[in-house]
Amino acid sequence: MTGLEATNLAHRYGARVGLEPVSFSFGAPTAIAVTGANGSGKSTLLRIMAGLLRPSAGACRLTVAGRAASREEHRASVGFASPDLAFYDELTVAENLTFAANARGDRDAATSVRAALDRVGLGSRANDRVAALSSGMKQRLRLAFALMHAPGVLLLDEPSSHLDDDGRAALARIVADERQKRIVVIATNDETEGRLADQRIELRGRGLGHSA
Amino acid sequence: MPTSGSSSAAAVWAILRKECVSEWRTRYGLNAALLFAVTSLAGVSFAVGRLSDRVDVLAALLWVVLLFASLASLSHAFVREVEGHTLTMLRLVASPTAIALGKLLFNIVFLAVIEIVTVPLFVVLMGAPAIGGGFVLLLALGSVALACAATLVGAVIAQTRGRGALFAGVSLPLLLPVLAAAVSGTRAQWMGGSIAPDAKLLGAYAALLFAASLLLYDHLWED
Repeated sequence: MTGLEATNLAHRYGARVGLEPVSFSFGAPTAIAVTGANGSGKSTLLRIMAGLLRPSAGACRLTVAGRAASREEHRASVGFASPDLAFYDELTVAENLTFAANARGDRDAATSVRAALDRVGLGSRANDRVAALSSGMKQRLRLAFALMHAPGVLLLDEPSSHLDDDGRAALARIVADERQKRIVVIATNDETEGRLADQRIELRGRGLGHSA
Repeated sequence: MPTSGSSSAAAVWAILRKECVSEWRTRYGLNAALLFAVTSLAGVSFAVGRLSDRVDVLAALLWVVLLFASLASLSHAFVREVEGHTLTMLRLVASPTAIALGKLLFNIVFLAVIEIVTVPLFVVLMGAPAIGGGFVLLLALGSVALACAATLVGAVIAQTRGRGALFAGVSLPLLLPVLAAAVSGTRAQWMGGSIAPDAKLLGAYAALLFAASLLLYDHLWED
C-alpha cells in the first residue's frame, strides 16, 4: 500500500513564505483536495510531494509497502500534472509520451501511451505535434502523462484548467476511478474539483503580498 | 518493475534518442555549427591559402574552429530545457545523472557529426597532412573531454541568472587544458612526433571530468 505523510512541512523562497508548516498522513486509496488562497502554497506543496522541490523545513515521506521509498521509487510512484508542465513542441503527442515511458523503463510503451491517450480523449491527436495543440489539449496531455505509468500517488494541480465540458467530465471519471486505487491529490480553488475529493487540506498561508 | 540500473540505462538511451530527434527536427545547433565551420574555413582559405608548411598553425586553427562551432550548442543542452519549461518533465521521468549522461552522449554524437563535415573540409581547404589513426584517436579523446566539460558547465549554470556570462567564466579554465593538449597532440602527430603524452593527458582529463560529473549531477536542480 502507498502512503504519503508530512511532518511540519514548510518552504520559503528566500524571504518569502511559500508554504506555512503543514502535517498530514494519508494511505491509499483516497482523494485529497488541497485548497487555499492564491500564494498559500498549494503548488509548492505538490512540487514537494512530487520530489521536485526540497522543503526548507520538515519532511515529506512517501511509503511503498510500509517502507520509505527511495528516490528512484519516489519518481516511479508519482504522477504529476500542473499548468507549468511543458512538453517538446517539436515532438508529437505520442512521441512525448513514448519518450517518458521509455525513460521510465516501460517495456510496452506503445500500449501504455495508447491507453493513456484514450483515457483523456486525445487518441485521435496522437500524431499531432505538441506545438499544434490547443491549451485544453495540452492539459489533457498533462493528465495522460501523469496517469500513464499507473503511479501510486497522482498529483493534480488545477487539473481542469483550460478543459471544456467534455474534458471536465473525463477528468471527473478519471478521478472517480483513480481514487479507488491510489492516492489522488488535487490542488484547487474550484469547488467542482474540490468535490471530487473525500478529504481536504486547507492551507492557511499568508497569500499574496506578505513576506516573512 | 525494471531495476534501478536497467531503468537508468533506459532513461539515458531514451534521452539520447529524444535529443537526436529534437535536433534533427529543429536544427537548433547543427545548422549554426556547420555554418560557422564552413564559413570560417572558407574565409581563412581565401585569405591565406593552403598552409601545408605551417602544421603548428593548422593544429591550432582546427581545434579553434571545432571549439567555436560546437560550443554554443553544447552549452545550451540544458538551457533549452529550462527556457522551454521541459526540465520538470525530464526530472519526473529520469534521475539528474541519467539526464546528464543522455545529454553528454548527445553532445559527443553532435561533435562527431560536426567533425565528419569539418575535418575533411579542413584537410582539403587548408592543406593539412593526411588523417591517420593517431589523429582520429586525438580527435575522439579531445571531443569526449570537450563534451564532458561543456555538459558539466551547462548543467551547473542552466538555472542561474546571467548564465551566458557565467558559462564563459566557468568554462574557460575547464576548456583550456583540453584545447592545449589537443593542439599539442595534433601538432606532434602532423610533425611526426609522439602523441602519447597528449593523448594520455586528454584521456585522464576526460575521465576526471566524467567522474566529477557523476558525483555532482545527482545534487543538481534540487531548488
